[in-house]
Amino acid sequence: MVDAAMTGVISAGMDSAKLKRMRRFRAGDATFRGLTLGAALLVLLLLGGVIISLIHGSIPALSTYGFGFLTTQSWNPVTEKFGAMAPIYGTIVTSFIALLIAVPVGIGIAIFLTELCPPWLKRPIGVAIELLAGIPSIIYGIWGLFVFAPFFQTNIQPYLISFFEPIPILNSFFAGPPYGIGILTAGFILAIMVLPFITSITRDVFDTVPAVLKEATYGLGCTTSEVVTKVVLPYTRVGVIGGVMLGLGRALGETMAVTFVIGNAHKISASIMAPGTTISASIANEFTEAVGDLYTSSLIALGLILFVITFFVLAAARLLLMRMNVKAGN
Amino acid sequence: MTQTAMNTAGMAEKISIRNLKFFYGDNLALKTINLPLYEKKVTAFIGPSGCGKSTLLRVLNRMYDLYPRQHAEGEVMFDGQNVLDPNQDRNMLRARVGMVFQKPTPFPMSIYENIAFGIRLYENLSRSEMDGRVEAALTRGALWKEVKDKLNSSGLSLSGGQQQRLCIARTIAVRPEVVLLDEPCSALDPISTAKIEELIDELTTEYTIAIVTHNMQQAARVSDYTAFMYLGELIEFDETTKIFTSPSDKRTQDYITGRFG
Amino acid sequence: MASTLGNPTSLGNSAVSSPTAQAIYRRRRRGNTVLLSLSIGATIFGLAWLVLILGALLYQGFSGLSLAVFTEMTPPPGSSGGLLNAIWGSLIMTFGGVIIGTPVGILAGTYLSEYGRGNKLSTVVRFINDILLAAPSIVIGLFVYEVVVVRMGHFSAFAGMAALAILVIPVVVRTTEDMLNLVPNQLREAAAALGLPRSIMIRHVAYKAAMSGIVTGVLLAIARVSGETAPLLFTALNNQFWSADLNAPMSSLPVTIFQFALSPYPDWQKLAWTGALLITFTVLALNIVARAFLSPKAQK
Repeated sequence: MVDAAMTGVISAGMDSAKLKRMRRFRAGDATFRGLTLGAALLVLLLLGGVIISLIHGSIPALSTYGFGFLTTQSWNPVTEKFGAMAPIYGTIVTSFIALLIAVPVGIGIAIFLTELCPPWLKRPIGVAIELLAGIPSIIYGIWGLFVFAPFFQTNIQPYLISFFEPIPILNSFFAGPPYGIGILTAGFILAIMVLPFITSITRDVFDTVPAVLKEATYGLGCTTSEVVTKVVLPYTRVGVIGGVMLGLGRALGETMAVTFVIGNAHKISASIMAPGTTISASIANEFTEAVGDLYTSSLIALGLILFVITFFVLAAARLLLMRMNVKAGN
Repeated sequence: MTQTAMNTAGMAEKISIRNLKFFYGDNLALKTINLPLYEKKVTAFIGPSGCGKSTLLRVLNRMYDLYPRQHAEGEVMFDGQNVLDPNQDRNMLRARVGMVFQKPTPFPMSIYENIAFGIRLYENLSRSEMDGRVEAALTRGALWKEVKDKLNSSGLSLSGGQQQRLCIARTIAVRPEVVLLDEPCSALDPISTAKIEELIDELTTEYTIAIVTHNMQQAARVSDYTAFMYLGELIEFDETTKIFTSPSDKRTQDYITGRFG
Repeated sequence: MASTLGNPTSLGNSAVSSPTAQAIYRRRRRGNTVLLSLSIGATIFGLAWLVLILGALLYQGFSGLSLAVFTEMTPPPGSSGGLLNAIWGSLIMTFGGVIIGTPVGILAGTYLSEYGRGNKLSTVVRFINDILLAAPSIVIGLFVYEVVVVRMGHFSAFAGMAALAILVIPVVVRTTEDMLNLVPNQLREAAAALGLPRSIMIRHVAYKAAMSGIVTGVLLAIARVSGETAPLLFTALNNQFWSADLNAPMSSLPVTIFQFALSPYPDWQKLAWTGALLITFTVLALNIVARAFLSPKAQK
């Protein structure tokens, strides 16, 4: 009897100590979980905050100019007449040029890396591409301004102008004089910048093609190029488009690389050799010098437009890549 | 289920599984299982792949709770408490019902810490007490002689068989009452397997053990009772000698004689 | 089919050996050569830029590299000086941004991988995080301007830190989640089987197992923000002088490069190149160290 009572007491004592620990564990678990949940919600809050603050900041401009803000080319701080058309045009055209160059090159490199490259060379080239992606954009800007633009001005632009001169329509795109800086130069620098993004995503989606599928195609006697064009590309189409959209998102929002070489002219020229501006370049160049609420607000409105455009482009890119991942069974 | 008259007089049921159903999403994986686990005995779960034997094991310490869309119905009584009760404290339950996995799972820390970590959770011990507990656990796990000079090296530096014994030592260091072994030898070589089987044999003096195994010889060697499962059902449960010498069910006989599985 | 008779290596009557088939095959081979040559050309073209840019940086930047760069303040036009205040400002603000952003990023990444795996909220957060990861950094600058600078009434190093922290968060969230996802579930189960509470399992087991990957993520985030210019332009602004006051405008290397490179003064342009060299090699070194940190298992 005594023994039984003793063990009862002892086990009860153990239990209360263990109960205390249990409560502490539960509290600790709940706190930690709450912290991580809070941090995750903060990510959502950040995006919400960005959108709300941009809308709030652009109300003065948007209420003054209304929808006309999008379709007006004039950008005149003296008369306080602001329109977003020239920067929007510049943003779209430079990004388009960038993709025109970077997409075929990026896909080409991805083909090389996945189908041709000897294994020992794969890693060095992969690292080099990642390094290209790691270089800060301001470096592309300073290099573009001091090295690329002068070279472009003396060695490429005069040749382009004379080459296209006899061709109708195209000659207006490539009309002189050769400034060095301008829309085309900016597009070219952007191409170099987004190339690594497009390349690495394309390579990754190419890698998702099941080896058996490729082997089966080779087994029919197909050449490498046939395997790539008939099997790899169709199989990964969605993912490649996603990668291109991701590159587009980067190009649209890129600031410093463009600001140096675009020329910062608020006008739309037929020639892509002429100076222009983009949304981000306008903000970077003018924001700290903007006097007056309407000027500042107009620049924030530009930022809002940029954010909305890139949001949809990036969202589309992510959705496409997610679809690709589902297909690859990840 | 077929069960012939078994001499169970004086045997305490440590765990009683009653009308247990288990679902992966909408998929019924266990169909109304009724089964006792006797105190300080080894019960082996055998059956072909996918028969639900691992699933059953993972219900006993509610390991399935880590994953969404898995749930259990019925009762699993453990010392008078229902394990499946939603208010059941899982950490406490798992400290009392230990588990060893198919592949060794040493934590990314030193050998000493691998053992001490779990103990420290529930007990405040002095350094020397802790040293004693670690040594005792490693000795019990038949590993002490091999690692006593390198307690501070990483648990990952051990061989596969040693890692598994470390995991067993880690499990018994927190002094559980029940130990669940989920194919503990399937990733090991024959010598390590023999060592672990020996270890299981010694552990029965203190612990109630449930072991899932693919290897029928192993079940025959280490267990007192055997449950044969097939397609989510418990087909037969009996003393191991009975199951392996004169099973009552045709399917059990087919399986143990190697006709399927 | 008579033509095949004279050819001992032919496959007999197979269509493959007919003259038309041979012609088709030659054309296919040519197509193959063209495509593969183009892909090699693309690779050379892509890598050439890395060489050209790094070459120009080394050539232009090294000539301006001297002790004065690290010991003197940014000069007024026409006189000599260094980049000390800009280097200091960059270090302080990058450090601040990483200190604020890293814990948030790690916690959010932990939620996505450990608690919210597969639920709706984490799908949304992951999606939004991926968008923030690629969102234009200048827009983040505008956001911080609106929320911090306008409220406080002046530019400050603190605003710069906030902007950089917002850029750090998505990078760290992403890598933390990815690295925790690589931790085998078996390890989680083993920890749970000992009766470890979830939070202790995560902090003592999962973090330990994912440590090198998480460190990689933080290093990559440092590399990313240390070269960022746009979000600092109208948050921390710039400062010609030494300043340790977090509540005042502060200089930074990228903003100084921006200002000096676009100036008409050769001295300033030279300093801009030198600054560019410093930043690039810091960033590239961080990238390389980060990758070296990653265990081979986690590498693709």
